[in-house]
Amino acid sequence: MNHLITAIIKPHKLDDVKDAVRAAGVLGLTVSEIRGFGRQGGKTETYRGTEYTVDFLPKVRIDILVEDHEADKIVDVIASSARTGKIGDGKIWITPVLRTVRIRTGELDSDAL
Amino acid sequence: MSRGKKFAALTLLSFIVLVIVGAKFSGHQGDATGTRTGSLSDYLNASGSPDAKDVPISQVGINQLASEAGHLRVSINFTWLLMTGFLVLFMQVGFAFLVTGLTRAKNAGHMMMMNLTSFAVALLAYFAVGFALQFGGIAPVANLGGIAPLNGLTPHGNWGLIGTHGFFLQSAHGYDVGVMALFLFQVVFMETAGYIIIGAIAERVSFAAFLLAEVVMGALIYPIFGMWVWGGGFLAHLGQSYNWGHGAVDFAGSGVVHATGGWAALAMAVVLGPRLGKFNRDGTPNAFPGHNLGYVVIGTLVLVFGWMGFNPGSTFGATDLRISVVAVNTLLAGCCGTVTALAWTNAKWGKPDISMTCNGMLAGLVAITAPCAFVAPWAACVIGIVAGLVVCYGVWFFDHVAHVDDPCGAVSVHGLCGAWGVLSVGIFADGTYGDGWNGVSGPVKGLIYGDGGQLLAQVAEVVVGFAWAFGLFYVIFKLAKNFMAIRVSEAAEIEGLDVPEFGAHCYPDFVLVSHEIRGDHDNGDSYALSGDGHGSSTQVP
Repeated sequence: MNHLITAIIKPHKLDDVKDAVRAAGVLGLTVSEIRGFGRQGGKTETYRGTEYTVDFLPKVRIDILVEDHEADKIVDVIASSARTGKIGDGKIWITPVLRTVRIRTGELDSDAL
Repeated sequence: MSRGKKFAALTLLSFIVLVIVGAKFSGHQGDATGTRTGSLSDYLNASGSPDAKDVPISQVGINQLASEAGHLRVSINFTWLLMTGFLVLFMQVGFAFLVTGLTRAKNAGHMMMMNLTSFAVALLAYFAVGFALQFGGIAPVANLGGIAPLNGLTPHGNWGLIGTHGFFLQSAHGYDVGVMALFLFQVVFMETAGYIIIGAIAERVSFAAFLLAEVVMGALIYPIFGMWVWGGGFLAHLGQSYNWGHGAVDFAGSGVVHATGGWAALAMAVVLGPRLGKFNRDGTPNAFPGHNLGYVVIGTLVLVFGWMGFNPGSTFGATDLRISVVAVNTLLAGCCGTVTALAWTNAKWGKPDISMTCNGMLAGLVAITAPCAFVAPWAACVIGIVAGLVVCYGVWFFDHVAHVDDPCGAVSVHGLCGAWGVLSVGIFADGTYGDGWNGVSGPVKGLIYGDGGQLLAQVAEVVVGFAWAFGLFYVIFKLAKNFMAIRVSEAAEIEGLDVPEFGAHCYPDFVLVSHEIRGDHDNGDSYALSGDGHGSSTQVP
């Protein structure tokens, strides 16, 4: 059975995370540009003398499919490579995956990675 | 056919008929080929020598030589005038970038279309009517070989109100090389006053109302006020009629061009009302960040480049070597305005504001436009610094006190700093230039060089200019409101004006996230804009 690792990270840490998970043996990942807020709730800036709140900050979301025994190790790799120690570093979560299919060959589950 | 279509067809038809009638009956007795413009008399007159009649007939050979030199002199001035006119024309590009960058992505097509059509529509209005009203009585202009056909001033003497020669560039032998050179240079100045309005009415004005504004600007508002200052009108003659210095002195148009555009923009912004969600019920403003600050900076730099035609070209000739002083003063004021706005926004809000810094640069340029030929470099710096402060306080004032929605700061940059520029002539003019300006002998001097009367004439230009441009624009659009939609519908404003007005997105390959507006600008909690940046449209690929 495979697990899906989803990580929300700071956009500028994407290259570090990609290099780290590759080195740890991950064969592929999917990236999306997303926006959102966390406990900080956005931040305030000034435009031409008028304050405004940026409610949703830009983030990058990474989705990686891994075999279940690999999952904890990859999460550690992502966490250490994405960490800056400042507010807004993001989150990682793992979801069990019922079925994985490689479209070209029809291979299933771990063979499909 | 609808009434509107009939009206448009009739207008077009009469325009064409008038052009043909003009061509048929005007006769071509102006100098249409250019061979007779620029001769011995131009050489003698312009170089301060005695009249041609005083030269002995035996000096035929020398006369021919001098005639060549006179023609050459005028040719150099023509070249200078046309080239600087082309530079001013390029400012249209800068302004299109500037105002489009300062507004939201969902309206970008509308902004660009306004910049394009303002050019064509206002130019035709100026060609038909405006140019003759403004310069129909300006002759003679020594630097351009006289421009003899343009000698129809009404009424004569010190109280001229309009010119009367040169309608459609044809009436009263207007088909003349000198007239054409003057037209090209002046029409691009009028365009500047025309497109300034866009900055203040952006993101809510209907395209039809905008076209009306351009016709009014090109045919009446700009030319008639311009005539009073530049075309031999009563403001220019305040020196002769009331002994107020040299009369209104406005070298390249801080007042004639920029303040006129700025006040017209203010009037339209007031009549239109603010954009949906701009002000809360308690009057505090919300920020609608512009969608491309890169455009704003590019536009500003293009405008600086164009200003190198705007001010130095206003000598009407490269034979007047004051052009280098004019150019350097212009740059000094622009840079002082930039640094002032940068420092002010940094001190006030903790970080320099990019778009306000750009506005600061334009503020300095607008302010130096009137005094650039008459002041020393140190004074240009002072004028630029004051302009930088004026624009910062102006934008704050219109947002937080007057509650007039001016998305690009057009009123502060062009109106307030234009007025400041006109006044500054009456303060800082140092008596090194302008001998004989507006028919008054002696150089132009400001208050600190001992001529308080000059400042009075400058005040007169500012007051009359405001009353004329703001007053007429306000009345015209208050009336227009009764029979046309001068503002787009709320639905169109929320969706963005591109598709409702023109059926095309400026950025079709992106999803433009339009943010829902709860309540509206009249009642309700209009501050409660959801989404990021309070109503800004963000692109998500």
